[in-house]
Amino acid sequence: MVQNASKISVSGLNFYYQKKQAIFDLNLKIHANSILSVFGPANSGITTLLRSFNRLCDLTPGAHMEGQILLDGKNIYAPDIIVTELRRKVGMVFDVPTPLPMSIFDNIAYGPRLSGMKSKKLLFQSVEEALKMAALWEDVKDRLSMPAASLSGGQQQRLCIARVLALKPEVILLDRPCSGLDPISTAKIEESLSHLKEKFTIVIAPHNVQQAGRISDRAAFMLMGHLIEEGPARAVFANPQDQRTNDYITGRFG
Amino acid sequence: MGSVERFSHLLTRSAKRKQDFRSIFSRSEKIQQFNIQHSAFSTAVKDRLRGRLAVWLRVALAVGMCFSLALLGGCGRPKTGVIIAGSTSVQPYAEVLVEGYAVLYHDDAIDVQGGGSSAGIAAAESGTADIGMSSRDLNEKERELWFVEIAKDGLAVIINPNNPLTDLTINQIRDIYSTKISNWSELGGSPAKIHIIAREEGSGTRSAFESLVMGEAEISPKAIVQDSNGAVRQLVADDKNSIGFISLGLVDQTVKALTLDGIVPNRENVINGTYSLFRPFLFVAGKEPVGAVKQFIDFTLSPNGQKLLEHEGLISSAIEGIENEEI
Amino acid sequence: MKKFKEKLSGRIFFIFALSSISVLALITVFIIVKGAPIIAKVGFFNFVFGMKWSPSQGEFGIFPMIIGSVSVTLGAAALGVPIGICCSIFLAEFAPAKMREFFRPAIQLLAGIPSVVYGFWGLLFIVPFIRNFFGGPGLSILAGAIILAIMTLPTIISISEVSLLALPRQYKEGALALGLNHWQTIWSVLLPAAKSGIVAAVILGIGRAVGETMAVIMVLGNAVAVPLSILDPVRTLTTNIGIEMGYASGEHQQALFATGIVLFVIIMLLNSFAQYITRKR
Repeated sequence: MVQNASKISVSGLNFYYQKKQAIFDLNLKIHANSILSVFGPANSGITTLLRSFNRLCDLTPGAHMEGQILLDGKNIYAPDIIVTELRRKVGMVFDVPTPLPMSIFDNIAYGPRLSGMKSKKLLFQSVEEALKMAALWEDVKDRLSMPAASLSGGQQQRLCIARVLALKPEVILLDRPCSGLDPISTAKIEESLSHLKEKFTIVIAPHNVQQAGRISDRAAFMLMGHLIEEGPARAVFANPQDQRTNDYITGRFG
Repeated sequence: MGSVERFSHLLTRSAKRKQDFRSIFSRSEKIQQFNIQHSAFSTAVKDRLRGRLAVWLRVALAVGMCFSLALLGGCGRPKTGVIIAGSTSVQPYAEVLVEGYAVLYHDDAIDVQGGGSSAGIAAAESGTADIGMSSRDLNEKERELWFVEIAKDGLAVIINPNNPLTDLTINQIRDIYSTKISNWSELGGSPAKIHIIAREEGSGTRSAFESLVMGEAEISPKAIVQDSNGAVRQLVADDKNSIGFISLGLVDQTVKALTLDGIVPNRENVINGTYSLFRPFLFVAGKEPVGAVKQFIDFTLSPNGQKLLEHEGLISSAIEGIENEEI
Repeated sequence: MKKFKEKLSGRIFFIFALSSISVLALITVFIIVKGAPIIAKVGFFNFVFGMKWSPSQGEFGIFPMIIGSVSVTLGAAALGVPIGICCSIFLAEFAPAKMREFFRPAIQLLAGIPSVVYGFWGLLFIVPFIRNFFGGPGLSILAGAIILAIMTLPTIISISEVSLLALPRQYKEGALALGLNHWQTIWSVLLPAAKSGIVAAVILGIGRAVGETMAVIMVLGNAVAVPLSILDPVRTLTTNIGIEMGYASGEHQQALFATGIVLFVIIMLLNSFAQYITRKR
């Protein structure tokens, strides 16, 4: 396999919430156009790590970090970085679907509109493209003006993915995107993710180990804020180097 | 049933209820006791709690009954103390009289309230007040009540001290208040809209003004309405484009009283009849006054009382004793 | 035994609940009984739309007072709603915790000031201010609107703030993760999502303004005429009752009770509307 260029490069990351340390000395390289699963038990710092990639952690009062996170070689915590632009490049899908209180079309078109796109034709194209990529187009193409809240849970989550896609990001972060969804919706989302990695870099925090096993190229196991092990997915799951990884995968603790 | 009988009746009924309560309680407590036998609680402590609970119940019940009785009892008027209510024009003078009365007779249980002449007359009629104060003549229906004139009061038309005008005719004042004249420039002042200030409809001062100045014409509904002489005076003192009417005795240096056709509004001109705006101050009662009420009214009409009123700026009516006066 | 006690306590609570409703029923029946005869006599349309209020001459038209109430309330809403909503956004989204601890009780304190104190302050401070800077007698719709706007601020601010804070955290995060800045998030996402709560807050605030008497009786000027500008004095339905109740008798008193009926209907409609909106979410 060709060694892809590092899309995101984390070195020496220590993350603190006030006095409490959430991430300890983390080093990680994320390759472009691949799916990385970051998995582990709750409170291991996985969500914190994901949020540090799009600087959503800035919202939490008292959150600060040491170390470096480079996106395409540029430190995303440099003072000249415009956070809103960063967040368009690094999109995020949450564990709970968050449709905006507007129609399906307006939800997807929101981002492009804000970036200045005004032409109705262009907007419609973006919306269609995004919905197709998120495998939602067939379901909603006849009712784009319906309120987004009228969709089912799985559809809403795919809407959120489409919304992120409409911004043409480079990285997509997904924090337990399928928690609370039925298996069919989960399967649909996993399928779209495996297509999306051709265009985007994907980092996913799965809500169970099996999902990680199904879709990821590489996997990273985090425990209590430490990165225990990281490598190609098959290797990590079939042949974990660390005893703790093995214990977690086999379900001895969780 | 008298109140005493009612009270004892209530007591016996409550005693029976207490019996029922206690039996209910003891039954439930037997169950509780059985349940608590297994706990670390000693039965001695439980007994003491039970006794205390019963005592508190009785105390609460007794307090509650006393409270409600007090409320019921207090519903009527207190037996001592005279209540005087009515015209806000008469009110400050009545208060002066009450003070003087207290000094002489060592009785300070007299209460003076406002509300306006009409309210005062109505209160006297219904018995809510012992004496009603009025600053206007009584109408036909009201004359059936007992009344006496205690003084005469001039009515002054006031403007702001910064207003250059000093004199107006009654016709001009009438036209101002009916908004035929609406700008000060029409009277020789600098152009500005005239702000007319009147009293509320139930005011004796307003009725006096209407009958003495307006006649058939109406005070415009656009007039600003205030509910006491003091409020009118305050407003005229603050607003340089305003005009109002108040009791002559209440005019002070914060406002300017207009001369009417050249006649200065003061006591002398009211007495000699050249200043035509004056009205009677009346004390009205639902029935012939007796006791403390009679004593107070006698004091008001006595030389001492009249001197007090004159000193405050009213014109004495100079009558002696209580008579049904034809005014 | 237990069953009896449970039944008894249930009955006692029922009686207490009933007593509060019965007070409402008593008041309603009372004002209807006292006020209906005059409406029947004068005629509903003549009463509500009549332009002349002159009890001494038997004229009972309350339309000038309705206009007064509407204009003062609308003025209060125009002033109070934008300030209130901006304040609630500030408290919910921008204020650091320390500032919030200071602002919230301060705003609640505004609600605790007696309305007569507001009226007094308005008379001594707002009225001369309007007179000197805007003209007119100072006693005006504007003065009443300013006072009422201040009085309704606590209601609008606290309920709007609660609505904003009650929004799921993901709304804000989802919007920010899309690259929206803070203001865009508030304007396009949070406010529309909290809309029904904010609207309910505004309607409740307006309901309070409509029923205010003491605060405005001193600053409105109480002229019984349809106002032509916000600097004109007016009389509202409530102040009309407040001024004249002391000396009204006979038909005059009935007419004041009838005014009370009209007020009652207005406030009931406003409250039902607010409830309908909150339920619709």
